Amino acid sequence: MHSTLQDRIRQMLAGHEVVGVLGLREHEGAVGPHVFTAEEDTARLVVEPKWPLAKTGWMIVRSLPAGKALGLVCRGCDIRAIEELVRAEQIRPGALRTIGISCSAGQAEVCLCETPFVPGEEPSVGVDPMSMPAVRRLCRDPDRLNTWREHFRRCIKCYGCRNSCPICVCPACKLEDDGYVTTGMVPPDPLAFHLIRTMHLADRCVGCGACQDSCPSGLPLLSLHLAMRRALRERTGNLNATGALSLMLTASHEDGTLWEDTLGSGKPGGGEYER
Amino acid sequence: MTEPALDIRTTNAHREIRAVVFACRWCALLGADRAGKERIDLPASFRIIPVECAAGVEPDLVLRALADGLDGVAVMGCHLGGCRHNEANRPARLRLLLLQDLLEIIGLDRRRLLLSWGTAHEGYQFAGLMREFTAILAGLPAVDPTLVRPC
Repeated sequence: MHSTLQDRIRQMLAGHEVVGVLGLREHEGAVGPHVFTAEEDTARLVVEPKWPLAKTGWMIVRSLPAGKALGLVCRGCDIRAIEELVRAEQIRPGALRTIGISCSAGQAEVCLCETPFVPGEEPSVGVDPMSMPAVRRLCRDPDRLNTWREHFRRCIKCYGCRNSCPICVCPACKLEDDGYVTTGMVPPDPLAFHLIRTMHLADRCVGCGACQDSCPSGLPLLSLHLAMRRALRERTGNLNATGALSLMLTASHEDGTLWEDTLGSGKPGGGEYER
Repeated sequence: MTEPALDIRTTNAHREIRAVVFACRWCALLGADRAGKERIDLPASFRIIPVECAAGVEPDLVLRALADGLDGVAVMGCHLGGCRHNEANRPARLRLLLLQDLLEIIGLDRRRLLLSWGTAHEGYQFAGLMREFTAILAGLPAVDPTLVRPC
């Protein structure tokens, strides 16, 4: 399977379909994101550990000129994240050519993932997050407020959860706005900081777990988001409210675009909370 | 000793209930007005913030209010289907229902957020809702001081 993956990357590079392929590379004993541009490089490509690359891909693609594309070796959650970014006009359709890998059942259990597979491939087994004891303890237990209080108290407000999130790409962020979250206070207001973030992601979270993976204090943020996803599905019947309506007011602009216009279609963009 | 000594307001018996009401000016604000004109008895627990439409009340604002130590927040809009602003109260309702779900997920009571859609248009309706809401909040413990921004 690994060799066919490398074959596909070589094919993409040889055909000049893409300027490079973003994937994970083993280098001097460590693994990190790398853009493969030469075919012989691909021998050092690895697919483990899980490392959501959608945000990295978005950062690279937004600076590419029109007509250029980037390949991306990614998982089901990344593909969902890219769909959301395309819908929000953050990425041109087709600018990211994905090469999907489905996750193992073990990885799905670590990620509490319901859909650990790539669209179009053989569906592998997912887990129901709400049946996991760890999630139930956090979201259903009668004493959960105390548990959450202890977790929130450990937050060092590094913004790692926001910065690693493939969906959090607003140019202006309410988490940095003194009107919503007191600036210069650590730990941050627990109700404001964490819950505002959860509400903003309620209809867009793809469940990749990048926030939890990047948290230096080990806050179980994924459980919060997964419980919200479940609540949304119970309310609307959809996993995402995609397409129907945009529920959350993030940094919206006068013309209704949610985010800064990075595609240069001539619409106004950027700036603070314009009304 | 588990909890630090609390001041008198945070113990249940003598606690002063504090709530904020976001009232849509086409519906609930009229109800509040009428309640005043008709001199109906109202609890002194709340302050009203008039808004053009309930859809303008972001969940973030409600969270900000709770993080400032208020006991509860009420959002009152027009009846569903009677919105002056292009059915804006339907998505607003979904959004605020999700916020109630979120409060429940981390262990706060969902009743801290009162939603009313067209049920506070008359003075007596508004007064009844506010009396009921104040009674509910009085039955709940004060929001944990460690979850609240120090003022």
